[in-house]
Parts: sequence; C-alpha cells; structure tokens
Amino acid sequence: MNKLTLVVARSVIVAALFAVPLFADDDEALKKDLTAVIALQGLPCGQVVAVTELAKDDYAATCKDGNKYRVYMNAEGRVVVEKRK
Amino acid sequence: MKPWSIAVYSAVLLMLPLAGCASHKTEPQVAQPKTVATQPKTPEPVTEPQEPAASKPTASSPAPGEAAPAGTPATAPVPSGATQATKPATTPAPNGANPSPKAATKTAPPVAKAPTPPVTPPKPAAAAVASTVPAPLDLTALKEKLKATKAIGVFTKISLKNQVDDLMKQLSDHYQGKGKTTTMPELRRAYDLLLMKVLSLLQDSDQKLASEVVSSREAIWGLLSDPKKFATLQG
Repeated sequence: MNKLTLVVARSVIVAALFAVPLFADDDEALKKDLTAVIALQGLPCGQVVAVTELAKDDYAATCKDGNKYRVYMNAEGRVVVEKRK
Repeated sequence: MKPWSIAVYSAVLLMLPLAGCASHKTEPQVAQPKTVATQPKTPEPVTEPQEPAASKPTASSPAPGEAAPAGTPATAPVPSGATQATKPATTPAPNGANPSPKAATKTAPPVAKAPTPPVTPPKPAAAAVASTVPAPLDLTALKEKLKATKAIGVFTKISLKNQVDDLMKQLSDHYQGKGKTTTMPELRRAYDLLLMKVLSLLQDSDQKLASEVVSSREAIWGLLSDPKKFATLQG
C-alpha cells in the first residue's frame, strides 16, 4: 500500500475517533432538551434515553420509564408533545 | 514501521481519552452564583440588625436564659447587659419579645465590660440596605439573556415561550373580561409555576441568570398585574 494512502487512512481514523465524543455531546444535549420539553408539558418520562429524528424539528423520544413521545413543532410554532404507543 | 512513527501513534492513542474528556464542558459559574444567590437572603438580617446582637447573648446563654429561673443570674447578665448598654431606650421592643428583659434589668452593673461588640453591626447593615435597593427592571435585557443562555435547549425555549404566550393571553382575557373567568390569584399561581420552571432549568447551568430572574420576579408581576402597564407590554 502506498505510504501516503496509509497516512491518510490513519488520519481519517484518528479524526473519526475525535469526532465521536462531539456527536455524543450533541446527542446528549438533544436528549436533555427533549426531557425538559416533556417535563414542561407535565408528562411522565423521567429521562429521554433515545431519540430518533423523524423530520426537521420532529423527534421520537423514548423515555427511561418506557413512555414514548413524538415531540415536534407545529405550523403555528408551538412545541407539541404527543404520546406514542 | 519506524520507531518514531510508532511513538507518534502511541502518543495519539494515549491522547484519545483526553480528547473525549475535553469535549465535556464544565461551566465555571458555580462559584459566582452562590454569592449572588445569597444576596436576596441578606435583607432579612438587614431589617433586624440588632437582633443578632440580642440573639448572641440568648444563643450563648440558652442555658442562662433557661437557667435564670434556676438561679444562675451572675453569668447570664454580662452579654445581654452589654447590648443594652449601648441602646437602653431604642430597643425595648426586641427585648420585650425575648425573655431577656429580666436579665437586662439585672445587668446594670456589668454594662461597661463589653461595649465594643455592638458597634460593628451598623456598617454591614448600611451596606446591605444600599444593596437591597431593587435595580430597575430591564425586561428587554433579561429576555435577550434568556434567549442567549445555553442552559436551556432550543425546544425547551420555544415550549417556554408558548407557555408565556398562554399566560399573557389569559391575563389579557382576564382584563378584558372575556373567556372563562380566571381569578388573579390563579394567574399569579400560573406565573409562579412558570417562573419556577424557568428557574429549575437555569439554576444548575446558569445560576447568575437564575438569580436575576428571581430578583426580577416581583417587578415582572408588577407589570403583569397592572392592567395599564400590561397594556403597554402588549402594545
């Protein structure tokens, strides 16, 4: 294998390893945000443990207690939390 | 592979855990807010600057106070007499509230022993009085700070804004007398709850802003609860 290719490959691996914690940080911030939103609506959750982005400003959140919610912003600019089965 | 390249890669690998830790943000605001948070509590001692002086003797002499009927008057009178020596006529009410007047009357002789301790309290009291003067409410600045804070996520901010708008509409309906009749105490409760939500979100990560919100609490309600001022807010 070419020496340059080897260096580039190693650099990409190292960069990816550095990037993982950054993405994880963003993910944690989103979970915390959605946890607060759900709590503000007075709905049971505890803590959001998993988030899936359904669309822009539209998320599916899974809570620690097993509850699942869809959190999205409607056309009027209101944040809506809907319980999912 | 050359030895130097092995050393470089091993160094990089060793630094990876450090990089992971570096992405974790620690906020250095923890120490400041404590002092800020204590400010609202200071007014209490300010209003009763003489009580600490009076309470010191009682605190130091719970045994004497309780033991006064038991028959140990010689030890107890010394501190309480000292406090009364400086203010014989000005502090009859606090002493009347405490069970110390008996000791005060008996402490006439040892008055001269400790006149210095009560002299110090006035300075902090004066400074604290100056600090308790409420700063003028800058609603716009507070709003901008709330918008800019990183302690609250974007979705949470929007959700809070929705709830603020709901409360404003309720207040507007109340003043216009339309819709379901929500009483002013109910609206105040809703306002308090909303503020508590904001504070619960701020208090861990942005204590300075949290204390600003707390200190503006009554001023904001003053605007909301006055129909004329509320109308200017709406317009």
